Amino acid sequence: MTGSSLTVEGVSKRFGGLLAVNKVSLRAEAGKILSVIGPNGAGKTTFFNLLTGIYEPDEGQVLFGNRNITGKKSDSIASLGIGRTFQNIRLFSGMTVLENVLVGHHNRIRTNYASAIFRWGGFGKEERRAEARAHELLRYLQLDERADDLAANLSYGDQRRLEIARALALEPTLLLLDEPAAGMNPQETEDLKHTILALKADLGLTIVLIEHDMAMVMTLSDRITVLEYGSVIADGLPEEVKANPRVIEAYLGKGGANA
Amino acid sequence: MNRFVGAVPATARLAVTVLLLAAMGGFLALGWGAAAVLAAYATLFVLAAFPPDPRWKLAALAVLTLEATLGLASKIGGDLLFIALVGVLVLLLRLPKVAVWLKVLLGAAVLLLGIPIAGFANTFLFELGIQIGIYSAMALGLNVVVGMAGLLDMGYAAFFAIGAYTWAIFGSSQVQHFLTTWVPLNGNFVYLFMGLAILATAATGILIGLPALRLRGDYLAIVTLGLGEVVRILANNLDHPLNLTNGPQGITGITKPPIEGFQALLAALGIPRSASTDYQLFFYLLVLVIIGFIVLVNVNLARSKFGRAWVAIREDEIAAKAMGIPMVKTKLLAFATGAAFSGAMGVLFAAQRGFVSPETFTLTASITILGMVVLGGMGSVPGVILGAAALTILNLDLLKGFSEVLNTMRQDGTVLLGFPMSQLPSQVDPAKYERLVFGIILILMMIFRPEGLIPERRGSREEEA
Amino acid sequence: MDTLLLLLPQVLFDGLLLGFVYAMIALGYTMVYGVLELINFAHSEIFMIGSVVGIEVFRSLTGYVPNPYILLVVAVILGGLISGLTAVGVERLAYRPLRKRGTKNRLVPLITAFGVSFVLQDLVKLLEGLWHNEFFLSMKNVGELEQSVTLFGIFIQYKSFILIGVSLVMLGALTWLVGRTRLGLAIRSVAQDPSTAGLMGIDPEKIISRTFLIGGALGGVAGVLFALQYTTVSPYVGFLPGIKAFTAAVLGGIGNIPGAVVGGLVLGEIETLAGTFLPVLTGGAFGTEYKDVLAFLILILLLLFRPQGLLGQIVKEKV
Repeated sequence: MTGSSLTVEGVSKRFGGLLAVNKVSLRAEAGKILSVIGPNGAGKTTFFNLLTGIYEPDEGQVLFGNRNITGKKSDSIASLGIGRTFQNIRLFSGMTVLENVLVGHHNRIRTNYASAIFRWGGFGKEERRAEARAHELLRYLQLDERADDLAANLSYGDQRRLEIARALALEPTLLLLDEPAAGMNPQETEDLKHTILALKADLGLTIVLIEHDMAMVMTLSDRITVLEYGSVIADGLPEEVKANPRVIEAYLGKGGANA
Repeated sequence: MNRFVGAVPATARLAVTVLLLAAMGGFLALGWGAAAVLAAYATLFVLAAFPPDPRWKLAALAVLTLEATLGLASKIGGDLLFIALVGVLVLLLRLPKVAVWLKVLLGAAVLLLGIPIAGFANTFLFELGIQIGIYSAMALGLNVVVGMAGLLDMGYAAFFAIGAYTWAIFGSSQVQHFLTTWVPLNGNFVYLFMGLAILATAATGILIGLPALRLRGDYLAIVTLGLGEVVRILANNLDHPLNLTNGPQGITGITKPPIEGFQALLAALGIPRSASTDYQLFFYLLVLVIIGFIVLVNVNLARSKFGRAWVAIREDEIAAKAMGIPMVKTKLLAFATGAAFSGAMGVLFAAQRGFVSPETFTLTASITILGMVVLGGMGSVPGVILGAAALTILNLDLLKGFSEVLNTMRQDGTVLLGFPMSQLPSQVDPAKYERLVFGIILILMMIFRPEGLIPERRGSREEEA
Repeated sequence: MDTLLLLLPQVLFDGLLLGFVYAMIALGYTMVYGVLELINFAHSEIFMIGSVVGIEVFRSLTGYVPNPYILLVVAVILGGLISGLTAVGVERLAYRPLRKRGTKNRLVPLITAFGVSFVLQDLVKLLEGLWHNEFFLSMKNVGELEQSVTLFGIFIQYKSFILIGVSLVMLGALTWLVGRTRLGLAIRSVAQDPSTAGLMGIDPEKIISRTFLIGGALGGVAGVLFALQYTTVSPYVGFLPGIKAFTAAVLGGIGNIPGAVVGGLVLGEIETLAGTFLPVLTGGAFGTEYKDVLAFLILILLLLFRPQGLLGQIVKEKV
């Protein structure tokens, strides 16, 4: 598996009178980690929703690899190989941990309806293959011993990791992570960092990350794009962004640059 | 209740159970039906609330089955003892740590010996068993739609009607009203028509579902409600210009499937026979086979990518879409599957009753089936069957029985709490108030126990002890 | 064909009457939907209760109060009040406990709404059974209100003028209430975003309650006018007008108040036109009964081609 690049060109989204995302352009190189940061309400999550087809952009286009995915439905975008997690965890809480991952694997399971009803024609074999794959992903995220528990019964940190496992089950080439470390304790955050780096190293995934934990963003990112009020105010390598006065101002307000 | 279970020693629980069973035997021997019924229900309660060791529980259930069957065979206790048999089945389903073959054996004894023996003694019980079966099958179909996929289908009886009329028209002389040269089909075609009804209702489901399922869930409820009404209006009015449905009078003289082979088998086995019980036994067994099949389909689907996708949509539509699950296609699949079950059961219903009319397929019928799924537990196979049994019995037996009691009181001039019952208006007739009962059940369940009597079981949690 | 054209003004007028009834019921659906995103299916029964109250007022008071106009005022006030209070009671007893539990499952409130609807139908049936031992209730002769005039070839009863007049007054009052008062502002803000409205010092629970009261009262008044115009009602009379009023609300764009009125009028006209001309045009092959089928077909076609309705916007789920 190798990552696909993501190119966004002048994408905007308006809600009533509010311009939530304003002509945003950015590029995530294949196999690299791009972080999108910005103060609360900067339009980061809306931006993710535009990429994944939950909202349709009012203007601009989104290219996944060389393919134009602007305005496609969210399920077809996912099937093309874009996996995502949600800021406000959206697991299938009444299903088990294993089932959650299997749902992520939906389109990779080659079973037709008749063979599912009657359990014939290689149904069992395909099901066992999918389960083996799901367990593999759960082991990768240290969740395998919880496989048969209900997702709702997991701790916060475990739920965040399960969302990643579920997104990986899509076998994506691009992974969008929306604040994966929110609500995690320092140890869990540390583990998560290693996991994300491993995803990049082992699978060659392209990763776009929204995160508030600056230490994490600085260590992980190959490149950073900063949003404020829906617009890109800075873009560059971590050191460049860190030193950018507009970014410092956006985060700390005027006069807070010495912090 | 579980907090108190520990407070009662195991031996005491067992002793109470044994005592109750012995008492029940005694009452039966004396012919005291009401007392025997009370003892049976008390035993079921004790077994459910203060369970003894699973092995003893199984043994107690076996004895209870035997006693209830004997009582029913000698016409003591009647319908109420029949309900005790249903209770045995429910407890059996929830019995842990006992070899499966023992459970299957006792379950088979109840279904294949207990109920038929009761049916021979009292043919109404056969009818009740068949109706419970037909409604269970339909409720299991609706369970796919409502329980698994979380889609609210308020016009489920429409598909039942389409199935029933398909066979009613071609399996009776009705067809000659518009195809004069056509000969009514013989009974063997019932099975073919079940297949045709599956196709016809699945296609209708897709046609109706396609516009509604693209939008938010609420729209489906209203569209299906409308469909239910449209099908009823069509059934009522398509007696002109072409007489397809014979209008409000309905269609009579619908062919039943031939059972010569079955009758020969009964004769060879030396089972007592009569023209009516032959058919009842046949349909009863046929319905059992069909339910077995539908349960299998339910369970298989639940453990496949399709079932998981349905539950995922029910839990969180946006997350499900982000997992690449095609929303409309997946919902349509559930909707059409549910419709197909209903259509097939419609054919069977028409063949078994020999008569269909628009009255059977009202909104109340759709609500009844929905009530079964909600009461039992959305998504739970044993729950849904229990819901179907409970509401069918309530509807066909208890409410009607209550009406009869009131009528008797009216005629005998009984005075109840100072009120002369003869003054009670004739509109006050419990059998006509199913909607009230179902409505109360729906509201109370949604407020206090939305997961149903026997909730859907997922994960490794051990329920009940 | 000429005779059909002569009929047209009369048919259009009759359609208007039906349209106003639908519009007033549709408002109840649309307002509750706007605030709670719930299809309050029990609203059909709130309308039914209004119609029963209307009939009971005329039946039991005609002997004491001979003037039909006074009776009408009493009926409208009582019908609006009882229906409005029933709607509030239903909200308290059935819907509020669900919100308190915070269930995510959208089926739960919807199933509850259907449950409430059936309970209300049969409760009214039971009460009427105990009181009059009747299922169908007929309007008493309303004297002067039955008189008629013929204007531009249209036969118009006085009570039809009243239906249109009262509807217009109610619609005007509602427009003023929602558009120009503090309560209206609060209702609109809760519809936009309940939690932010809460932060602004608006108690969403109170506003929800008021919304049910207003919607229920409108439905009740519609019921009284319906009973007056169409004279026979039963405990199940709410079902079809309810479903159609919902269709009207969707037609206009659910959650949109002027849309509900437009949708109601359009649907009333289409249905009346179809009811009159369908039997004639098809040579009697399809009777008036099929007008209900038509309303349903409109709903389906609408969902296919313009789900946002005539005046509405597509409702997107919040992410």
